[in-house]
Amino acid sequence: MREQIEGSQAVARTVASCRPDVVCAYPISPQTHIVEALAVLARTGKLGAAQFVNVESEMAALSVAIGASATGARTYTATASQGLLFMAEALYNAAGLGLPIVMTVANRAIGAPINIWNDHSDSISQRDSGWIQLYALDNQHAADLHPVAYRLAEEVSVPVMVCVDGFVLTHAVEPVDLAEPERVDAFLPPFRPRQVLDPADPVTIGAMVGPEAYTEVRYLAHTNAKRALERLPVLAADYAARVDRSVPAIADAYRAVGAETLVIAMGSVVGTLEDTVDELRGEGVGVGALGLVAFRPFPVDVIRAAVAGRERVVVLERAQPTGSTGVIGTEIRAAVPGGPPIHSVVAGLGGRPVTRASLKAVIEAANRGELPELSFMDLDTGLIEAAGSRP
Amino acid sequence: MTRDRQPLPFAITLATGTSLANRTGAWRTERPVYRDLLPPCNNACPAGENVQGWLYPAEAGDYEGAWRTLMADNPFPAIMGRVCYHPCQTACNRGLLDEAVGINAVERFLGDHAIEQGWTVHAEAAPTGKRVLVVGAGPAGLSAAYHLRLLGHEVTVADAAEEPGGMMRYGIPAYRLPRDVLDAEIGRIERMGVEFDLGRLVTDLDAAREGYDAVFLAVGAQLSKRAYIPAGESARLLDALTLLRSAAEGETVRLGRRVVVYGGGDTAMDAARTARRLGATEALVVYRRTRERMPAHESEVAEALEEGVQIRWLSTIAAADGESITVERMELDETGFPRATGEFDTLAADSVVLALGQDVDRALVEDLPAVDGAVAVDDDFMTETPGVFAGGDMVPSERTATVAIGHGKRAARRIHSWLTATEPKALPPMPLAAFERLNPWYYADAPHQVRPRLEIARRTDTFDEVVGGLDAETVLFEARRCMSCGNCFECDNCYGMCPDNAIVKLGPGKGFAIDLDYCKGCGICAAECPAGAITMIEEES
Repeated sequence: MREQIEGSQAVARTVASCRPDVVCAYPISPQTHIVEALAVLARTGKLGAAQFVNVESEMAALSVAIGASATGARTYTATASQGLLFMAEALYNAAGLGLPIVMTVANRAIGAPINIWNDHSDSISQRDSGWIQLYALDNQHAADLHPVAYRLAEEVSVPVMVCVDGFVLTHAVEPVDLAEPERVDAFLPPFRPRQVLDPADPVTIGAMVGPEAYTEVRYLAHTNAKRALERLPVLAADYAARVDRSVPAIADAYRAVGAETLVIAMGSVVGTLEDTVDELRGEGVGVGALGLVAFRPFPVDVIRAAVAGRERVVVLERAQPTGSTGVIGTEIRAAVPGGPPIHSVVAGLGGRPVTRASLKAVIEAANRGELPELSFMDLDTGLIEAAGSRP
Repeated sequence: MTRDRQPLPFAITLATGTSLANRTGAWRTERPVYRDLLPPCNNACPAGENVQGWLYPAEAGDYEGAWRTLMADNPFPAIMGRVCYHPCQTACNRGLLDEAVGINAVERFLGDHAIEQGWTVHAEAAPTGKRVLVVGAGPAGLSAAYHLRLLGHEVTVADAAEEPGGMMRYGIPAYRLPRDVLDAEIGRIERMGVEFDLGRLVTDLDAAREGYDAVFLAVGAQLSKRAYIPAGESARLLDALTLLRSAAEGETVRLGRRVVVYGGGDTAMDAARTARRLGATEALVVYRRTRERMPAHESEVAEALEEGVQIRWLSTIAAADGESITVERMELDETGFPRATGEFDTLAADSVVLALGQDVDRALVEDLPAVDGAVAVDDDFMTETPGVFAGGDMVPSERTATVAIGHGKRAARRIHSWLTATEPKALPPMPLAAFERLNPWYYADAPHQVRPRLEIARRTDTFDEVVGGLDAETVLFEARRCMSCGNCFECDNCYGMCPDNAIVKLGPGKGFAIDLDYCKGCGICAAECPAGAITMIEEES
């Protein structure tokens, strides 16, 4: 049913339709509305048999989630920014133990300097934690990714982060078509864990593994991630058919056919980007967009195919690139050796808006051959100089 | 339950038993040992009771087991539960947490319950053929007789009085110790085969020893101390022991309406409270120092004040006549010693009761060396004369029934060693289970159970017992407040805490063993033992 609804509410209500057994989270902006909404659902009996566990920190939230998941419970948590960093140690444990937890990350910058607004620095910083990372393009997408995330997580025994732009999506009220619970039920079967902590049939989960097998454990995790990449589009297509709308799961191409310039981005900025593409196409400029949804596992083959034959690629980097040339750009360069130039543009850090005008200017600069390998969109060096500092 | 389980994840998830190949015990540099410590209650008990040891069965409702454990050290639980000043409770670690365990109340319940149930004790040791004479049927003598009988000796108790009990009968008022309770617990000793020779004043020690292998002297301290008080002919002066003894025997004592008691010990409180019960409308205690320096126990002072007894501190009696006394106000010098001020008051008084302490009547022991008027004994309670032992109030010590009972027990065991020419059993010293060694947060908050008390209005005209007992429900609660300081009570905390599953349960009452193949000596069990009953010791390298 289509409703005018806040992104956080849409996520919370879809999560409720996934019938979690345990929900535990610690509030942090801009994730708070999701947890509040789930708490209200729990209090009003609309969260089924789920146990809503109050915790004292993000470390505790994910630790509770790990414990709950190990007992065979379908488990949900959510966080953002510093909260995700606080979880860091437990993130690796959840992934290493193969516990299919689903977590919403309401993307937010990380400090210092403290900043509560949106960028992708938080989830990008955990790219090697072993979690699958899916980036929502809009609120409809954010909601739809959650049932897909659970199905994938439980099928391949890997935890999934659904990354939703903080404020820009979490606090935006838009029309969202919430899937009826019975449709979610039909798509998402009850959780059948591959391992369970059960006193009646005890096992040790999380045994110490020495040099003789540690590499093999990591190798299996890697091959399992590749399997996840195979299953993800299949499952998303299954869900999409049930809800009768498109649910991009790996990447979403827009007017990319015949485009000499391809702009790749993740998250809500893709909407602005598509409008910019429309505008430039109207001017006869051969430009297209690719909204990347799956960042982990990194869809090398899809990227390779999308980039092939382009004159140039512009990548919008919504995370700090300190000491590097941009996280996503580096991945793409590695995926397409000898391919077209890849221009990383650091954009929209700490909540700075990414406007059509700025996007257009960057694309035009790229087309003129004036865009360096790494640049900062709308960088105000005058601001720095006015303060007496040196850029 | 066996589920149709999917294959377990590689390496990181293991079926049970797979980690047994890791003998983590090889890492160990220290090992835990279950080592009982001395609970502070046991340490403080003048009678040497294993208080923690008898509270433990009482917690489970095994009252007979508790009573028998208690009886191994003290034959008078019902009496102790009334008259003991319970230093165990003063020492109780629980007092540092909320309130001390009401050990005395539980002891009384066990004693009363045993009387109701008619439980008895038998001298089960083989007869030794040795005969011991006990002179004095007070707490020390009766305790010695009981323990000597338990050890298989023939015992005769001689006492000048017509009834056994000594100060427990003739000194402690009935409102603190009802006589049926006293009779029941002494009767039990009699039924063990202890002979009583009552109404016999022993005056010649050498003659009395004839036919006995050893003698235990416990005649107490029965000579009231006197103070020189210029008194008119009409003045009525008597000593506290005489008053208490007369009251105990039901004799009429003419005290008048206004009674002054001179002294500040427990006997003074007993005398004043007895005077109230005998009809005195005013009972005034005159004491030369302050309340803080009064030797009487706080509970006695409080109960006396409740009953309307008045106390005039920092005063001495300078003179007395038939209707009044003259008191001199005192002040304390820097050392706390009272000093005369030369300021006098006159107070109305029909009689003056002297409660200034007691001395040992040395007539029987004049040949034996003395210390401060008491009979000198060594650590074995043996006097200078081989085979003649002494204890209780007649040797230097604190003069309470409980101390005397402890003397009787220890003396009996030394007499036994002496008679059988065996070495006394030497127990290794146990470290004290200090509060710092416990983890008291494991114990739930539990308020002390309050014993019922006779309403004050009825305390001035009857000798009914003032302090009541706990009932079965409240006594169980009180016993369960015991933290079992320093002694394993099988709470399973170590079993639950051990990260190596190295604690082995041996079954109820049997405690635990440590599986040293896997105990890596982390010390969590010792650090988390609620009772502090686990000690880490270094491994030999």
